[in-house]
Amino acid sequence: MNSTKIEVLFQGNGVSPGIALGSALKLDSYNRVILKTFIDDARLEEEIERVQQAMQTSREQLEELRLRLEKKVGPEHGFILDVHILMLEDKSLIEDIISIIRIHGVNAEWAVRQATDRIRNAYQSLDDQYFRERVSDIENVVERILLNLSGDKPFSWTALPEDLIVIGHDFNPSTFATMDLQKVRALALESGGPTSHTAIIARSLRLPAVMEIKGFTATVAPGDLLLVNGDEGQLVLNPSEERLGRLRTRLEEARLGAIEPSGPQEPAVMTDDGCRVWLQANTELPHEVLAAKKCGAEGIGLFRSEFLFFAHPQGFPSMSEQLETYQMLAQEMAPHPVAVRTLDAGGDKSWARTEPSAEPNPSMGLRGIRLSLRAQEQFAAQVEAILRAGAYGKLEIVLPMISTVEELWEAKKLIDRVRCGIRLGGGQTPEPIPIGAMIEVPAAVLTLDQLAHEVDFLCVGTNDLIQYLLAVDRNNPQVAHLFQPLHPSILQCLARISATAKRLKKPARICGEMSSNPFFAVLFLGMGYDQLSMNPRFIPAIRQLVRAVTVRAARKIVDKAMTLATAQEVADFLIEQVSHLVKVDLTPFVKEIRTSQGRTGLG
Amino acid sequence: MIRKIIEVENNLGLHARAAAKLVHMSSRFSSAIYLSREGYQQEIDCKSILGVLMLGASKGTRLVVSISGADEDEASNAIVRLFAGRFGEEL
Repeated sequence: MNSTKIEVLFQGNGVSPGIALGSALKLDSYNRVILKTFIDDARLEEEIERVQQAMQTSREQLEELRLRLEKKVGPEHGFILDVHILMLEDKSLIEDIISIIRIHGVNAEWAVRQATDRIRNAYQSLDDQYFRERVSDIENVVERILLNLSGDKPFSWTALPEDLIVIGHDFNPSTFATMDLQKVRALALESGGPTSHTAIIARSLRLPAVMEIKGFTATVAPGDLLLVNGDEGQLVLNPSEERLGRLRTRLEEARLGAIEPSGPQEPAVMTDDGCRVWLQANTELPHEVLAAKKCGAEGIGLFRSEFLFFAHPQGFPSMSEQLETYQMLAQEMAPHPVAVRTLDAGGDKSWARTEPSAEPNPSMGLRGIRLSLRAQEQFAAQVEAILRAGAYGKLEIVLPMISTVEELWEAKKLIDRVRCGIRLGGGQTPEPIPIGAMIEVPAAVLTLDQLAHEVDFLCVGTNDLIQYLLAVDRNNPQVAHLFQPLHPSILQCLARISATAKRLKKPARICGEMSSNPFFAVLFLGMGYDQLSMNPRFIPAIRQLVRAVTVRAARKIVDKAMTLATAQEVADFLIEQVSHLVKVDLTPFVKEIRTSQGRTGLG
Repeated sequence: MIRKIIEVENNLGLHARAAAKLVHMSSRFSSAIYLSREGYQQEIDCKSILGVLMLGASKGTRLVVSISGADEDEASNAIVRLFAGRFGEEL
């Protein structure tokens, strides 16, 4: 027997840059560690009793949740929890679990996992996509049973060692909320992709991540030494001494989490020909505000509030819980503004944990403002929290997924009604705060004149705009190569938005992760955008770039780029032009625009 | 013992909402109720949501329903009505 560990290299897709070394921590699909233990024969009945009790508790919780959901969101949403309740009452499932405990003498958790894995496999072989996706309902139920079996104690990170690499098939983004970020160094997953929600959060947390590594979890055991290289999209099991020696300095730097030195004392950002540019941060987790300040962001251009909802045990944080977060953001960023985007649930953002969507095509379904206007009670609570927090700094409201003027009318009416009903400490109503619309649906671009009249500013959500304009589902690997941010149609749209906004004197801000790539940033400057919001870690590099270019030169680049026929031609042209225009090292970004995918984020 | 062939006529098929209705209704009867796709052997328990969803029955699928027990007539009528009424789905 050879005890020397052999180095194994897996190739995947690097979706968040950086390298990290650590030991593997396997989380199952709901990020719960399931251990198999054997139970004494004498205690088997007790174990069966335990699982029955957990299923009973789960049923009661769901009954209660259904009532609340029907009251808050509408009776038409209750049925999906009916399905979950029926699953818990399903005799075949209960009998299966009990017989696994009895025959194999194992713990309840393991039996639940085994029984439901079988069902899951059966579902995954169905032809019809709708029925295949019912797997997510089953997982929802499993998660609840397991939670109740654990006695409602969340998985504890305290007992775990430092320097962990989280591995798994998939990863629920809400887990970021409970994960100990001091201990986790990187992510490596079998599924996912550069535009998955998990990838976007990993980038904003500066957590190196490699995804789409097919089948590797079968080879890696918990505790194995792993090297994650997010730049190259590689995962190395048992990395050799020689390999580690080569990377030693970089690994040490990565561990220290060195941020490029810059700070709030930075002088105003201007292009070489004196045009003022505001660089802002896109954030998602409340504590990212610190990174934003550290990198010298002049405000938060987009706070994605979904996370507050994902992370909340009930899925609906109360007005006062939200107020606490928004107030903190407003105070931390003052005097700079913070734009809070109201809940953009639906689409690929699985708010589905608490309100499973039965829609066949969620990204074209009830999401963003559409859901908010349907669930007015919750929307009003969020608006109230933002308005109240406005007293502590400079807050803005951004409305997602706007496609008609009527939606703006209705939302504005509600915002004003909420505002007039609030009495602050001194008995006064809060001041109105600026309202912006996300421009991410092609219909909004085409009717921008009418929409812009209704709002104070515009936020361009590049990622969704690309997906809707090109009719490409960014999470579908079959067509991911068609997700081309440099497609000529995208350039047309972006230029048009900027021109209309200028004519109507409404500020327009780029809020997609596109602006963190220097090549795209040059295009935006040339189109006339002066507010770019991005992952805070890229602000120092983009600041350097903005100072090195002139708007005049950038405009020329845009003019020429707009005449080209393909995304590839645009990419080649940009590489040729931008490379000798600026002194920033562009090599890491070249690959990104050549493959027309990579570090683009959520809009 | 009653055996009948029923066709799924509603647009969404035996999707979550319809399946929940079917399971709820079947569970009210003491008779054993089984479903299978026409031409297939595998039968599923009509009182099991996991089974009904596993049929993956979309619009136009033909199903064989077998019912046996004291209240089989009532159960059969109720099931036929539920399918014919397209599970209350709006047209």
